[in-house]
Amino acid sequence: MLENSDFRIEEPDLSSKYDVDLIRRFLSPLGFNFDASAVDYSIILYNLNDDIVGVGSFQGKVLKYLAVAPHFRETGAFAHIATYLTERVMMEHQQAFVFTKPENISRFVGLGYHHIASAEPLIAVLEFGYSNITKYCEYLKSIKKLNILGRTAAIVMNCNPFTLGHQYLVEKAADENELVYLFVVEEDKSTFSFVDRWNMIQAGVQHLSNVIMVKGGEYMVSEATFPNYFLKNESQDLVTQKQAELDITIFCKYIAPVLNINTRYVGTECYCSTTEQYNNALKHLLPKYDIELYEVTRKSIQLNDCKEWVSASKVREALAKGDTNRMEQFLPETTIQYLQNGLQERVKEKLEVCQLRH
Amino acid sequence: MELKIKAQAGSFESSDVLIMVEPQPTGVGRKIELESIVMQQFGDDLLNQIHRDLDALGIDDIRVIINDKGALPPTISARLETALKRSAGLQAGTLT
Repeated sequence: MLENSDFRIEEPDLSSKYDVDLIRRFLSPLGFNFDASAVDYSIILYNLNDDIVGVGSFQGKVLKYLAVAPHFRETGAFAHIATYLTERVMMEHQQAFVFTKPENISRFVGLGYHHIASAEPLIAVLEFGYSNITKYCEYLKSIKKLNILGRTAAIVMNCNPFTLGHQYLVEKAADENELVYLFVVEEDKSTFSFVDRWNMIQAGVQHLSNVIMVKGGEYMVSEATFPNYFLKNESQDLVTQKQAELDITIFCKYIAPVLNINTRYVGTECYCSTTEQYNNALKHLLPKYDIELYEVTRKSIQLNDCKEWVSASKVREALAKGDTNRMEQFLPETTIQYLQNGLQERVKEKLEVCQLRH
Repeated sequence: MELKIKAQAGSFESSDVLIMVEPQPTGVGRKIELESIVMQQFGDDLLNQIHRDLDALGIDDIRVIINDKGALPPTISARLETALKRSAGLQAGTLT
């Protein structure tokens, strides 16, 4: 490009060890631990003497590993890399995200990125693009039910798949509140696709007239896109905790006020430590925003004289093994029916592939 | 000019402007989201200029996102024109 003739962009081949090493050697002294498997695409910016000026990558819609050598920080190199990557991301997505340390917020704000939330002192998230959190709040306003005087609850669910436990939690919230907003995690990183999960939930809650289903959008539990590479010196536990804080802060700061949410329901967690940490973070943060947390004891069922907790992972396990009887013990009639309509085979194939990979 | 896809032109660099355009259904009108580091001094001028340029090209239904880092008026017009041509498929982007 003529307008940037001082710099030249090259696309390294991420399958080549040499190219990956090149990036790694550049990033290592700057405090980054480059992981080529955690990016989809990278660029290297050279000057005309073939010195590496900076690098940048992205995975999905998240920009990663943006760094410029100290010597070139006075130049437009950083903006150059960010422009190029943002444009690339925007070819396929409506927006681009950046996770960075709070001290670097100003660098991205200076480019035009918008700061969404921070979990001090480790993480901040910013976004840029056609779609943004204001647009998501407009969506929320469009589905908001007006003239609600009583308590309004929120539940966030992935439902992979929708079990009796999920149904129990929703029913309990619907019983205790005037209105329940049921957020369905939109990210497609689960065995069941968003559309399948949405349909299963819809079928499973249709008898509850005060439940409104809401698309989780980009802002509810975006765990899978969250990169923790720039926090290599922090303990994994702390990172997970900060990640949860970030998520909850977005919920409290943007989503809850729009829908006048004053309670949030979660099920108790006894299997997954990440979810448990998430629930602990909820306990700390929600009171600061005047939102009450209700932790509902997980539903259990009686199986051969012993009590067993209902869990979606047990369902997936049984499904993978083809143990239909065990699986159906955990599922409401609506999910069973949905699964029988041809979906089951598709998911089973997917599960088998997943197991091969591990 | 008929806009077909979302497109962008320009950069985040200082003295440049990044313009993103998105086609809108007929009758929606122009949605212009302007951000500039010289908003206070030239915000209205910028907006007028964008409207004039869109008038000249006969575009009524569009969403324009402008992220200005103090670009001069000719730069802004050029970036807008390029973004529009890319959107209409009349000109290829720099990324292939």
